[in-house]
Amino acid sequence: MRGRGLLREDLAWAFFLLFLATVFGLAKHWQVVTLSFQGNLAAHLEEMRTHRRQVQFQGVKTLNLAQAYALFQKGQSLFIDARQPEEYAELHITGAVNLPLPKVEKVGNQAVADIAKDRQIVVYCAEAHCDIALKVAEKLQSLGFTRVSAFLGGFKAWDEAGYPVDTSM
Amino acid sequence: MPNRKPKTENRKPAARKSPRNLGRFLLRLLGVALGGIFFYAGLQKHYHDWDFAEAVLAYQLAPMWLAGLVAAVLPWVELVAGGLLVLGLKRRSCLLLIVLLAASFLVVLAVTMARGLKIDCGCGLFFQRQVGVEALLEDLVLLAWAGGLYWWELQTVSRGQ
Repeated sequence: MRGRGLLREDLAWAFFLLFLATVFGLAKHWQVVTLSFQGNLAAHLEEMRTHRRQVQFQGVKTLNLAQAYALFQKGQSLFIDARQPEEYAELHITGAVNLPLPKVEKVGNQAVADIAKDRQIVVYCAEAHCDIALKVAEKLQSLGFTRVSAFLGGFKAWDEAGYPVDTSM
Repeated sequence: MPNRKPKTENRKPAARKSPRNLGRFLLRLLGVALGGIFFYAGLQKHYHDWDFAEAVLAYQLAPMWLAGLVAAVLPWVELVAGGLLVLGLKRRSCLLLIVLLAASFLVVLAVTMARGLKIDCGCGLFFQRQVGVEALLEDLVLLAWAGGLYWWELQTVSRGQ
C-alpha cells in the first residue's frame, strides 16, 4: 500500500518536472517551435545546411542528380561510394567502388593510390543530409585529385530515380 | 560499573550498517552516473538545437509541428531529469522520467529499424551513430538501469530504511 502511495507521489512530481521542462524548452527554443508550426522547419534547416556546407566545404564541386546521371551515362567517371561497407554490399550505384572516409584518410591506401589523379570522380553517401561525400571529396582534393565532385542527393535520390544499381562487390 | 555495555554489543550495529551504507552509496553513485549521462545528452541537444531538430525530422514519425515541439522540449526533459538526479533531488521522479524517455525511444528505434531507415540516431552522446542494434541495446541498458534503480529506491523507502 505504501509503495502505491509513493508511486503516486513520484508520478505527480514527474509530471511537474515534465511541465517545468516543457516551459523551459518552449522558452529557449521558441524559434524551432514557431517554424515547425508554420510548416517551415524543413526548409529552414535545408537553408542552414546549404549555407554551412558553402562555408565548411569551400572549393568542393557539387553535382545534382541530373548532372551525376549524365556523367554516369558517359561511362568515364569513377563513382565512389563513401558509405559503410555493409550498406555498399546491400546495394550501390553500378560500377561504384566502396571507399569510406577512414579508408581514404589511411596513408598509403592502395585503392586510392590506384586511381589516376586526373580521373573524373563522383563521390556519394547515403542521402542529402549526409556530409560524408563532401568530406571524402575534400580529402581526395587534398591528396591531389583534380576532378572530384560530390553528388549531394546521395544513393537515396539515385535509387528513387530508378537509375542502375548493383549488389556485386 | 553495572550500566556499561559489553564491547561486542557496541560493535554489532556498525557491522550491520556497513553493507547497507555500501548499498546506499552504490545506489547514489549509479544514480549520479545515469543522471550525468542524460544531462550531457540534453546539453548536446540544447546547444545543437537545429541539428537535433533535423535528427527528429529524419525519423519521419511525427508531423512537422510535433517534431518541432519534441526538438524543443526533449533536451530540457533530459536536462531537468539528469541534472536533478545528479544533485540528488526528487530522484525517484527523475528516474520515472528517464524510464519514460528510454521506453519511448525504444519504440521509436524499433519502428525505425523495421522501416529500414538508415539515419543518425540523434542520441546526443559521445559519438554519432546510426539507428541500429547498437543504439537499441544502449537504450535497453539505460532503460534497465533507470528501471532497476527506481525499483531499488522504492524498495528501500518502503522498508523504511
